[in-house]
Amino acid sequence: MADAHFLAGALTSAMLVLLSTTVVVNGLYEDQIKKFDWRSMHVGAAKHIHVDLNHFQPRLLLGTHEQVVASICPKTGEIGWRQVLEQKARGDIKLLQVSGFADDSSDTAAAPVGTHLGFDMLTVQGHAPALVRGWNTNTGTIEWEWSVMPLNTERAQDAHWFYSNSLLYHVVPTWRSHLEVTAYFGTSGHTTGSTSKIMAAWIKPESCLLSGTFFVCVDGKQLISLDLVAKSTQVIATTLDTEPTSKVQALAGLNGVLVVNRKLVSVNKAQTVCDTLQSSSYAVGTFNYRKIVAYGDLAEGVLKIKAAYLDNCAPVPELDQSLTFNADYGTPSLRSFDCKLKRNGDGKSCLFVFSTSAESIVAVQQNRVRWVREEALANVVDSQFIDLPLADSEGTLENEMKGKSVDATGFETDIASAFLRRITTQAIQIKSLFLHVIGLGPPPTDTQRAGLVRDSFGLHKMLVLLTRSGKIFGIDNIIGKHHWQLYLPNVVGFGNDENMRLIVQRTSKHFPLQPLCTIVAKDLSTGNGVLYRFNPITGRAAEGGLLQLDYQIKQLSLLPEAEPDFVKGILLLDATNKVHVHPKHATQLADGMYLYTADVKTSELAGYFVKYAGEKLSTTPIWTVHLCGHNNEQKIVAVAGKSSIEHVHSQGRVLGDRSVLYKYINPNLVAVITQAPDALHKSILNLYLIDVVSGSIVFTMTHRKVRPPVHIVHSENWLAYSYYNDKVRRTEITTIELYEGKTQANSSVWSSLKAPMMPLVERQSYIIPTVVEALRETITERGITNKHVLIGTANGAIIEMPWALLDPRRPIASTTQGREEGAIPYIPELPLPTENFINYNQTIARLRNIYTAPSGLESTCLVVATGLDLFVTRVAPSKTFDLLKEDFDYILISIVLVALTSGSLIVRHLASRKLLKQAWK
Amino acid sequence: MMYNYFIVICFLLCAANCGWSYLEQDSWTNVELHHGLSSDPEHFSFRGNVTIPSLNSALSSLHQIELKTSELNVLTDLARQNGFYRLKVTVMYPNGKKQIFLTSSKACSLLQSELNDILWISVGPSGFISSVTHTSLSDSIECDVNIIEHIQGQEYNTDVLVKHSELAPMPDTAGFIQKVEREREARERGEVRDNRGFFSKYWMYIVPVVLLVFISGATNQDAAK
Repeated sequence: MADAHFLAGALTSAMLVLLSTTVVVNGLYEDQIKKFDWRSMHVGAAKHIHVDLNHFQPRLLLGTHEQVVASICPKTGEIGWRQVLEQKARGDIKLLQVSGFADDSSDTAAAPVGTHLGFDMLTVQGHAPALVRGWNTNTGTIEWEWSVMPLNTERAQDAHWFYSNSLLYHVVPTWRSHLEVTAYFGTSGHTTGSTSKIMAAWIKPESCLLSGTFFVCVDGKQLISLDLVAKSTQVIATTLDTEPTSKVQALAGLNGVLVVNRKLVSVNKAQTVCDTLQSSSYAVGTFNYRKIVAYGDLAEGVLKIKAAYLDNCAPVPELDQSLTFNADYGTPSLRSFDCKLKRNGDGKSCLFVFSTSAESIVAVQQNRVRWVREEALANVVDSQFIDLPLADSEGTLENEMKGKSVDATGFETDIASAFLRRITTQAIQIKSLFLHVIGLGPPPTDTQRAGLVRDSFGLHKMLVLLTRSGKIFGIDNIIGKHHWQLYLPNVVGFGNDENMRLIVQRTSKHFPLQPLCTIVAKDLSTGNGVLYRFNPITGRAAEGGLLQLDYQIKQLSLLPEAEPDFVKGILLLDATNKVHVHPKHATQLADGMYLYTADVKTSELAGYFVKYAGEKLSTTPIWTVHLCGHNNEQKIVAVAGKSSIEHVHSQGRVLGDRSVLYKYINPNLVAVITQAPDALHKSILNLYLIDVVSGSIVFTMTHRKVRPPVHIVHSENWLAYSYYNDKVRRTEITTIELYEGKTQANSSVWSSLKAPMMPLVERQSYIIPTVVEALRETITERGITNKHVLIGTANGAIIEMPWALLDPRRPIASTTQGREEGAIPYIPELPLPTENFINYNQTIARLRNIYTAPSGLESTCLVVATGLDLFVTRVAPSKTFDLLKEDFDYILISIVLVALTSGSLIVRHLASRKLLKQAWK
Repeated sequence: MMYNYFIVICFLLCAANCGWSYLEQDSWTNVELHHGLSSDPEHFSFRGNVTIPSLNSALSSLHQIELKTSELNVLTDLARQNGFYRLKVTVMYPNGKKQIFLTSSKACSLLQSELNDILWISVGPSGFISSVTHTSLSDSIECDVNIIEHIQGQEYNTDVLVKHSELAPMPDTAGFIQKVEREREARERGEVRDNRGFFSKYWMYIVPVVLLVFISGATNQDAAK
């Protein structure tokens, strides 16, 4: 038996040796940490904000829409601590109650001295079960937790929670019938008695809310309210001046006070308010030991903050502030403020915290913006790496080269003029260098001053990120600095599960023309398409900026570059299947284009052919595919095409017998995955490989007892996708490679209409011992470098997986043929060595997507991983074969070279002398 | 006796096709073909009928009507403009459900192949048709006007091919464990035999020796000079 163990051990070690010799290990050295990468941490759009400057440790406590609880330093805006909690409805923060809030004694956590039952902060999350947690806000740790499982989980979705006098109240409305109110001891979870049922036939969804202890519903021009903690359940009706035009909001900090039509209204007789104030956002706080209400409004780019004492409505002149507010922060609303407690304070210590429509958190103090947190970056939906512009001198050189290549035919005859041009360029260069040296040169441009000049390896790029809120960022990919930001209000992603898109219409290659990017989105109010054109280096609008289209966008595609401005036109298919091109002068290039649409709801795909005739574009539907099944039970869960900038360097794969297996490289191939419930197998997953030009289904494959989440990556002639196997309860990855066979149908031009109908399909499945959240392939300039698959996992790591390990041709039986082909013997479980984690210990919270882009170096691929955090790095799948190592010893090699040269000269001299001497002998 | 055989065959069929339990119903699927050969792009005229007794066996019977001269002229015109020959396919399942597919191929290649075409029917995993694709058997990519204007015959010669869905692989843990066991046993018995050739086995020893011989030979030659 011991022998067997030894043998098994020997076998595994042999396997390991084999693996380590064939697979490139991409570990990072210790001194390279944070050298090529950076991470920025975010918390998401704020939902609950609470500033407390009078705590022994000033703090800003946050609960966000991303289900994160965090403490922010009020001075700098940096994260003190952050806890990323449960996702989706389960983690939805319903209540964030901070103990000892201001001087309202009812909110303190009354706990006996010496027990652990007090709390700094209490949160309620989710509805079934509702999790109640007490936090230590200094360390960010949970002190205690209890949960409530409601009897009726559906009704509990609309439940409200509030905290009053050490009791936590759970309010479950049954619409148009009654309210169920249960009180719990906040810290222990014991109920105080039975659930009280309050008959209230007037409650309706959408029009009711909770303000302090009051349950308030809007009914036309009336506010009907009920104090839930009062002894008598008396319904109070408050008449409004006019019907509320916007959503009624509760004012935190005051019991029974609401904001209706920009005015404060109290439904609580004990609480008086200043009803003359007019503002879009209010916050309650304390100043000079008196309760005040502050309000902030944006008017023509100037943010004005004012405040009034609550008791006599007199204004507080010390707190009046006004400052210019950047348009790209969005519309602010005052969420919380606090001042240092002093007698006769001058208001300079007051910190006002705003959340904005662009999902930023802005802190204002002493008439200026103290800090800004760009929380829109927690929801990146698209990203592009843009080459930086050339320095001016290089630009002129580039222009000269271009001029030469354009009239290549007239080159021979034009030697004299070409020579002249060269001489003048160099003269200009020398002149500019001279002027620069004596300090008379032209002032550097904005981009040059910001250090935004292309480096020799093309590793320094502008990272343009498009976020869900419509905010766009231009970030330096080396240092992570935000160079510019833009905000597009009123845009949303498309229907059919499609996000907004960021498109590069012109790259930086066409000096002196500036690069051009376009955002394609949907207008929030009309549902029509919106285009926004801008320069991705400066972040300024270009070509007229915003363009409101008068149709809905169904599909878009990019056209080839159009003369004379090298802009790639955008081909848009509208809801009525008409096509449009932007810019207009590229219309002609749309002739002969193919488009396809995939409807997620009906699981139908359709193909269109675009024709240009008589100065007009028309579409012809040419194919349809129905993946819906017999009873429309199949739903599309993933669609994956190939990257349009991909180059495939190698057309085939050399087999063990030195013959070539040609790859089936079809750029028009799209993988579609559908899911359907199944009587026998619970859930089945179908993969379809569809040629979207001819509309033919190239291959179909079925997984049984398998369900989403599905993540897919499709490149060259291969495909890898991950899914959850319900039967064995683990995540698996299936890989597919397509081959044409030993002969190639057409080596020069690919035509989908003449393609081989049945390519060879190699397939294999692997177990991956982690939960996959994102998949992406690495991409390089020429496609010579090996392709690796970047696997983003649920615990925030990115694993660089060589294709050799995912290869479906890994032989099960260890044959010599497989060995000679360079394939590793099949092992069902994929290894996840820690040295392949490209983000080592820099965990990316809620990793959602990975984007890759080629750099100027063939070996290197730029990577940005997005989620709650942002992580930017670079990877070299085949190691940096075209780059000297950083610790390359230049001195040693120079010394060796000099020594060798001088040595050979000396030896030559000596040899000749010796020969001469010999000749004389 | 005959009855017995029948049962055995049935059983074998089932064993072979258990994966396609959905398709086991003995069902006649009717596929109606309409081609778009008129000036009106929305109008499709009847071309023929394909009856598939069972999608599983992929047998089919075809009935197609001959191409009219006027239609052939339209087709030739389409080919000259490099247009599409569009086919509307109506699939009628035995349960009365109807689905309409659209497929197209270049009119020119249809003419070049002298109306020899293929109808690929892709059958999804639960036995429904997910797409119908029309292609023609023509090799050349360029459209040759001479060929298309001198076409013989006006009858379609169609092959109907059915593509089935396949079953995805599962991670082969059992196979891997067996392989490891086998190798272990072989090792215990001392039967690990290397059946590679002599050179492929010992090349790493031979090459340096040969190199050495060469180098020494070269230096000797120099010395001999």
